[in-house]
Amino acid sequence: MKRSLLALTFALCTLGSASADKVITGAFDQGPGGAPGQFNPLTNTAGFTWLNKYYSTLVLYDPAFKKISGDLASSWTVADGGKKYTFVLRNGVKWHDGEAFTSADVKFSLDLANNPDSGSAFASKFGNITKIQTPSARTVVITLSKPNAALLDALTNFMILPQHALSKIAPKDLRNGAWWRTNPIGTGPFKWNKLVPDQYVELVANPDYFRGKPKIDRLVNRYFKEQAAAVVALKSGDLDFSYLSLDDTKTFSGNAVKIISGPSQVANYLGFNNTSPLLKDVRVRQAILQAIDRDTIVKQLYGGGAEVANCPVTNSKYVPKGINAYAYNQEQARQLLKAAGWDNSRTVEVLTYYSDQLSKDVLVTIQQMLGQVGMKIAPRFVDVPTYNQITGGNDFTMVYAGIGNGPDPDTLYPSLHSDFIPPNGTNRMKVNISALNKLFEQGQETTSTSARTKAYQEMCSLTNKQLPWDVLWSAKRFGGVNNKLSNFIWTPAPAGGRYDDKAYLWDTK
Amino acid sequence: MGLYTLRRLLVSIPLLLVISAVVFTLLQFTPGDPLDAYIPPDQVLSAQQREILKVDLGLDQSKPVQYFKWLGRAVQGDLGYRIKNGQPVLAELGRRLPPTLLLMGLGMTVGVVLGIFFGIIAAVKRYTLLDNTLTFLAFLGISTPAFLAGLLGMYVFALKLGWFPAGGYQTPGQGGVLDILRHLMLPATILSVTYIAILMRYTRSSVLEVLFQDYVRTASAKGVRSYRVIAKHVLRNALIPVVTVIGANIANLIGGAVFLESIFSWPGTGQLYLDAIDSRDYPMIMGTTLILAIIILLANLITDLMYGLIDPRIRFS
Repeated sequence: MKRSLLALTFALCTLGSASADKVITGAFDQGPGGAPGQFNPLTNTAGFTWLNKYYSTLVLYDPAFKKISGDLASSWTVADGGKKYTFVLRNGVKWHDGEAFTSADVKFSLDLANNPDSGSAFASKFGNITKIQTPSARTVVITLSKPNAALLDALTNFMILPQHALSKIAPKDLRNGAWWRTNPIGTGPFKWNKLVPDQYVELVANPDYFRGKPKIDRLVNRYFKEQAAAVVALKSGDLDFSYLSLDDTKTFSGNAVKIISGPSQVANYLGFNNTSPLLKDVRVRQAILQAIDRDTIVKQLYGGGAEVANCPVTNSKYVPKGINAYAYNQEQARQLLKAAGWDNSRTVEVLTYYSDQLSKDVLVTIQQMLGQVGMKIAPRFVDVPTYNQITGGNDFTMVYAGIGNGPDPDTLYPSLHSDFIPPNGTNRMKVNISALNKLFEQGQETTSTSARTKAYQEMCSLTNKQLPWDVLWSAKRFGGVNNKLSNFIWTPAPAGGRYDDKAYLWDTK
Repeated sequence: MGLYTLRRLLVSIPLLLVISAVVFTLLQFTPGDPLDAYIPPDQVLSAQQREILKVDLGLDQSKPVQYFKWLGRAVQGDLGYRIKNGQPVLAELGRRLPPTLLLMGLGMTVGVVLGIFFGIIAAVKRYTLLDNTLTFLAFLGISTPAFLAGLLGMYVFALKLGWFPAGGYQTPGQGGVLDILRHLMLPATILSVTYIAILMRYTRSSVLEVLFQDYVRTASAKGVRSYRVIAKHVLRNALIPVVTVIGANIANLIGGAVFLESIFSWPGTGQLYLDAIDSRDYPMIMGTTLILAIIILLANLITDLMYGLIDPRIRFS
């Protein structure tokens, strides 16, 4: 009896250890790149870090965002002056339910994005696709009405969806459909297991993943309404990974958690309502820039974790030499304001959707600095819906905001081209400079890399001179990862954008 | 009593109507509508896509029409759909109510038991060191916002001491009763702090008032044991104002739970409510307000009915 009891205990113990699987638990939707609880890759404008764990894209960036290579596509060619893209698809890829992945799925996904009923954010990027052909199960030919050099960049965030599972659902019902949250099927390294609303999503390894079976068994994405709670969970070991703010990173000591930093690819700027007569004189906009001691702000408030920028693009490749650095000079700022006839008694409201402590400190500092040269501003902190409503109209003068400007500068098109002035898009500052419009159009239409680079360099010079926005700096963003993880790749891409993080190799002790 | 209850329930109906109308009107004054919240600031949507969304969300209709449409469906038990994910509002609420009730229930139970207990002690040992210490702690408890107490509690008990998990409802992949209880302990205790503090003060003053009544002295004089005097003669009479406070503080309890839920990543109604406000999710906001209002009205009714149980002299008519 005793012996059998011992044996049973033993058996139970081994059973326990055998079922102990490898799990990585992260807060992958924390921070500005996340979209907690949103699972529709067509309408999502963020949260791609998580979506690409179970979906795949045709092409993707490397983690440094220098080069685009194939994911579901094994190769591609561009012909007809940039109007014809031919993708050759990878062989032997299977959907999570075992069905074969084919070119029909790619065509279906693109068509769905272009259907206005699906409410897809990609419609504006794929709008000039005229024809999608599938000459074979492994080939997709996309024909454009005019060349678009930024198509590949857009495709790095575009998840390919299964036709066999989705064609039965009307695009309209798909937008908020239950499919995305109950049984989505992708081709990524992990398979959907379950969603516990407000708490977590759990994926399990996809043994048939086309680049190899993942090393861990489960990947869990936990949700936190409060950033502070995620930080405590990371510190206590409940969590293996989370986005961190600059202030959060200062609270870590010891070596249990490794801090990862990377360029945010977001430029912070003071935006001006370009139709407002108040700031029409470029000298006022120059004065504002020269009155702000950006070097000190970067050093003191950002702790060096930001770089001063002088035009909307910050990738050094697109910033030409010799643009105006608008060095800090209070005296000059005063003179410029005087010359422009600025009324010192006027107070300008500066609208922002940022609510973090750092942004508050930054705005108060700017308020002080501008006050010293005789310009009164009043920061106004609002939430995103309020910001959207106010800047969608015309009743504002100035904003403090951030804009994703990479990896491809074409990202800035809808924010600076006059075709996109609300209600038609997101040129909320109503920038309307025809030379600038032309440069953005050139950047899309030319296929030669050098000509593209030149167009964006000119765009940088032009905005640097005319100052439709006063671009201030581009900051770094941070993440914290438990040191027991290995092969973990993460970088703070805008919207958590698609890069090759090789999640199938992630491992934990 | 049955008739009284029925009458109270009937009176609640116009009250709920007024509440829903006020909330709906206030929502219209909030800057930004669901569409502004649905679309991130740098997402491009064509005018056509925008129009489709507008019609879909029912925002193309006039405000009064929107309200009466909502009302018409609400009286039939259909609270509409959550904009964020298209799920029925009732289902979303139904999923979050149990965790919230669990949190509030335990927080309230701990609060009532400890609050009354310490209140009696403070009254019996009035003006001693113990009484003064308890008074000091009570004021500290009353003046500490739930938000701050939550963060402090998490820092000390989850991070430094490691006694409890740092937020969440369950360990992903587990979720047994014990696991949930382990996650529940810390937020519930913190939620009870304000409650303990408030009830302690009320119990103390209420007990003190009764303590010097003739019948208490009589009971003591005829040799009734002191704990019996307190439990039977004093407490029974001192409880009426305390019960009023318990009922009146249900709304505060919900307010505290809203903040604590978001700090502790507790998947309850509070978190849902904040999320709905952030995303200007009109149906979700209206639905949650309605349900919370019903809970508060019910709690008040129960409080009033309790009077009769505690004090047989009170009659409902």
